[in-house]
Amino acid sequence: MTRIIHAELIRLLRRRTLVAAAAGSVLFSVIATLTVFSSAQDSGPRSRRGGTSLAALTDAGGGTEAFAVGASFVGFLVFVTFIALIANEFSGGTFRALLLREPHRLRLIVGKLTGALLVAAAAVGLAEVCSLAMSVLVAPTQDVATANWFSMASLGAATRDYATVFAGVAGWAIFGTTLAVIFRSAPLALGVGFAWAGPFENITVDSWDAGYRYFPGQVLGSLIQGGSAELGIGRATFTALIYTGIAAIATLLLVSRRDVTA
Amino acid sequence: MTNTTGSSTTTALSVTGLTKRYGTRNVVDDFDIDLPTGVVAGFVGPNGAGKTTTMAMLLGLVRPTAGEGSVLGSSIEDPAAYLDRVGALIETPAFYPALSGAENLRMFATVGRHDTSPIPALLDTVGLAGRGDDRYRNYSLGMKQRLGIAAALLGDPELLILDEPANGLDPEGVREMRTLVGDLAGTGRTVLVSSHDLSEVEQVCDWLVLIDTGRSLYQGPTSDLLGGPAHGLVVVAQRPDDHLALFDLLTARGDDIAAQDGRLVLRVNGSDVGDLAAAVNRAAFDAGIVLTELSPQRTTLEDHYLSMVHGGAR
Repeated sequence: MTRIIHAELIRLLRRRTLVAAAAGSVLFSVIATLTVFSSAQDSGPRSRRGGTSLAALTDAGGGTEAFAVGASFVGFLVFVTFIALIANEFSGGTFRALLLREPHRLRLIVGKLTGALLVAAAAVGLAEVCSLAMSVLVAPTQDVATANWFSMASLGAATRDYATVFAGVAGWAIFGTTLAVIFRSAPLALGVGFAWAGPFENITVDSWDAGYRYFPGQVLGSLIQGGSAELGIGRATFTALIYTGIAAIATLLLVSRRDVTA
Repeated sequence: MTNTTGSSTTTALSVTGLTKRYGTRNVVDDFDIDLPTGVVAGFVGPNGAGKTTTMAMLLGLVRPTAGEGSVLGSSIEDPAAYLDRVGALIETPAFYPALSGAENLRMFATVGRHDTSPIPALLDTVGLAGRGDDRYRNYSLGMKQRLGIAAALLGDPELLILDEPANGLDPEGVREMRTLVGDLAGTGRTVLVSSHDLSEVEQVCDWLVLIDTGRSLYQGPTSDLLGGPAHGLVVVAQRPDDHLALFDLLTARGDDIAAQDGRLVLRVNGSDVGDLAAAVNRAAFDAGIVLTELSPQRTTLEDHYLSMVHGGAR
């Protein structure tokens, strides 16, 4: 398994990829921080779905609040990226070629997913650090006190934010991988993924509140934000585990059973 | 399927009753193949004959509907037991476009637990020395095919399975690929190469496997199929004006003769082709006719192939 992860890292950790990931993290932190700080309300919403409050920004977790609030759209980005990464492996024939070197199919797909998730974990970490740095720069301009940001409690909050964001990212990555394995074509998988996670879920929840608790995209969105008004972090984690577990089993079954003809 | 581990080491590949059914159609139908160690086998058949599917089943990519056998002494049910000793290029070469040729090989070697140090030598072997650092997306089709061969050679495999390595190449590329496969033939490996280029197969392969509609038509030494006695003698006069005189002369001798494209072809009819050539040469000389060609005519692989696949009706 480690050699497959290593090989995946050979592929992903190239200068261009690293520069793109770093640039994306910095860009994310700039946009998220400016947006969150400028839109913070005196008495903000209970959850991060609708933004945040000035009180939350001055709390121990205020330094990474922009990261946590802004991360909601990162999941969808990861979803799309993993669809493209994995589906292109099938349509381009590289999965077939790799199977000639590693005939254990499950080991291959899990190794590839793990390698890509390691890169995603590093990018998420970089985004959090950049967001913290950006928040330190922006806070004085918005009269936000930062005294509570550099304590053990803030470290705990940052760790919690990282954990929930990465858990959500991993869930999106698994969903993306599942779609890619089902369709084995990036355009088709992206089309279905966009349609489901974009218009379908978001339009449906406007008229059906329960959708926040049951739709995979909404559940992962709540998980990334550390819980929402509609779905607490505990229930979000539990539901996400069930959904991603089902998706992972479906993926492994398809990979192990289907002929590789492309 | 039975586990055939421990089968004779003189057999690189032995499969019986191999079948792959999609719906109601048998793409490969009760196919047998038996490949001795060390041969370079040409796998020949028309498009859609089942060559690629057969190779994919041998490589564990496609699950057989039926059949049993072994590759390098291990059951085809357990490809993991032998794939580390098999190198393959199946369908088109598949690499990561953004990586260089050398990076691609390094990645594949890492996945296969192969030594990466021979990569420069492998690139040299396939004629990509100096181009290994170029991105794969910038490679020509011929370079991609050659990189595919280099990847197949990672780990110094005992058995090479190459699926139409010259596919899509220009004539120069085809010639280069023929030379490359010929060179591989000299390394003692067992090679199974599918090809449409019958002249390539005839020149390079010492073993033949002919397939059509998923069924085996012939398998055995190339010499057994092509090495039979000459069935004709080609005679060509130096001066076109002598062509008719030569025809009359040989007809008068009682030879069974036919004119083909400015040449005369005598049917050998069981006599020794050497004796016949000597007699024809003597008769022509006595008649003052100078010959520029006097050569035995044997059935080519193309003749056999067309005869077997189309019943000679092409």
